[in-house]
Amino acid sequence: MTAMESETGHLGLTLKAAFRLAWRNLARSRRRTWITASTVALAVLLLQLVISVIIDLERQSFDNLIDYQTAHAKVFAAGYYGEREEFPLDRVLGDPARVRAVIAEVAGVAATTPRLSFSAQLSDGSEQLPVTGIGIDLQGSDADVFRIPQAVVAGTYLQPGEDGLLLGADLAKLFPVAVGDWLTVLAKTRGGAYEALDLPVTGLISTGNPLIDGTALMLPLDTAERMLDMEGMVTEVAVRFRPSAREVATLTRLRRRLEEVPGMDVRSWKEIEESFIALTQMKRTGQTVFLSLFVLMALVGITNTILMATFERTREIGALMAIGLRPAGVRRLFLAEGAMTGLAGGVLGSLLALGLIGWLATKGIDFSAMFGDMDIGYPVSNVVYPALKVFWMLGVMAITAVLATLAALYPAARASRLDPAEALRHV
Amino acid sequence: MPIAARLTDVHKTYQVGEVEVPALRGVDVEIEEGEFVSFAGPSGSGKTTLLNLLGALDVPTRGTVEVGGRATAGLSPATLADFRNRHLGFVFQTFNLIPVLTALENVEFPLQLLGIKEAAERRRRVEALLEEVGLAGLGDRRPSELSGGQQQRVAVARALIKEPTLVLADEPTANLDSGTALEIITLMKEMNARRGTTFIFSTHDRLVMEHARRLIRLRDGRIEDEERRGGDGDGV
Repeated sequence: MTAMESETGHLGLTLKAAFRLAWRNLARSRRRTWITASTVALAVLLLQLVISVIIDLERQSFDNLIDYQTAHAKVFAAGYYGEREEFPLDRVLGDPARVRAVIAEVAGVAATTPRLSFSAQLSDGSEQLPVTGIGIDLQGSDADVFRIPQAVVAGTYLQPGEDGLLLGADLAKLFPVAVGDWLTVLAKTRGGAYEALDLPVTGLISTGNPLIDGTALMLPLDTAERMLDMEGMVTEVAVRFRPSAREVATLTRLRRRLEEVPGMDVRSWKEIEESFIALTQMKRTGQTVFLSLFVLMALVGITNTILMATFERTREIGALMAIGLRPAGVRRLFLAEGAMTGLAGGVLGSLLALGLIGWLATKGIDFSAMFGDMDIGYPVSNVVYPALKVFWMLGVMAITAVLATLAALYPAARASRLDPAEALRHV
Repeated sequence: MPIAARLTDVHKTYQVGEVEVPALRGVDVEIEEGEFVSFAGPSGSGKTTLLNLLGALDVPTRGTVEVGGRATAGLSPATLADFRNRHLGFVFQTFNLIPVLTALENVEFPLQLLGIKEAAERRRRVEALLEEVGLAGLGDRRPSELSGGQQQRVAVARALIKEPTLVLADEPTANLDSGTALEIITLMKEMNARRGTTFIFSTHDRLVMEHARRLIRLRDGRIEDEERRGGDGDGV
């Protein structure tokens, strides 16, 4: 042996050499490799597609909340937010105009609008249902912050100076009532007395948000103020940010600015919908885990393929061991084959997904054709535009390669435990 | 001459189901460096078992096997692999080249395992040796593109490239026609003479065994007799 060899020492099979050998061995059984990788690719395609749909469902859900329910932020009087489900009408904003004027100067804010939310009962004379009443400003400002006018599916949006009701379309079905019908709104005034008001239904709204569509009625703000004996008072001022504004920075500026008006409480839409966002994340995790099972099943194919390869190449493994390849080197060789098959499947599936998602992103998937009016658990309209997130796409590819390597662990370990003398005798 | 390999009272018993099958029943032998030795004998005489023990592919049930002054007993599979890589070269009956590697890469592979990082240095040594074994210009071919004789030449080169203490060849000519067999045994002899590498091979081919300078006949797991030939032992 030369001096150089004894000095460099035995390193076993380098990763590069292992991958080169693995590549050639995979190319040797082209058809088998192709079939195995295709199975993985199909599972990855499915996973990528569903993830892209979920991404858009989430985006639409969040947009929906902002557009119809929470705006980007809401300003309440101190003490209101914690008890908002009780609609405490004694903790309200007494001077919304001043609050709005202050907010309007904050950079990044596009529009503000006052709202008066209250608990009410709605009756058609025979049926009575609990609803959430929302007094909305018709001097243009509510429509600047929320997209209610775009959600009108029957009748018309409320007109300034006219009394009437905008009713969630699902709520209307429960009575059932139609545009032009009269309903009675029953509510407790700020002083605790009951007040009833008969109003015609001027329009029905469908937002995709079950909370709005199923339980909300909207009426002119001044009508609501009068009914509740709360002239000039509102429960909240909703704020919409400019599309270009950075949400967190704008929110910080807003909070800082409102420090000059005592007793204000600013809440972002993420705070208001904290539990919905947490639920969405849980749902996303659950769905991803569930779908990953498909990928896992496909990866069992890799286990099988590598196992077959180790059987077929038993004598070759024996020869490699005789030459001096350590058991760890044998293991590395087959793990590399698993990783490469997985990566090939992952890349192929992702590329196919890229094409398919790209096409569907412009065309959209109409869920109403598949599910009709069924609640799919997201407050969204029926057409979903799958969205691509590079992070997810690369993540799925990387995870597939890692899992494929793990799938090859058993056959690789088995091969590495072969007795070289016996392996060489293998026919 | 220093001792290349020493077997002392070596027994090897295989367990086949519930039956114990003795393959070697007490073998004592010393091989000096630079020898060209053949183990001969009929099937089941223990030739392959003996070569496997010398090749650190297997360990004895009793007795000791030393190669290059080091006992092979009690070593871990990884240490045994390192040991084979540094000290031993193998030539198999069925060639056992790696089919996805070219001739050149097959010969280069043990050098990679040795940790010789410089590709140019590896290539230089491999190409020189391929020329020496008569395969100049065939380095780019894969085993499937080579004849049986050429494949076995690659195997000989692969065994010799790391300049091992011992080259072990189990029936190296059994899968070759008699003309090619003679070429291979002649090549091995040339390498033994030129490089001083110790060769131990097994055969049951009378023509091949005639080329050994030392012929050890085995029968039923024991050494039956031993014959040393003078001169260059190039057959009768």
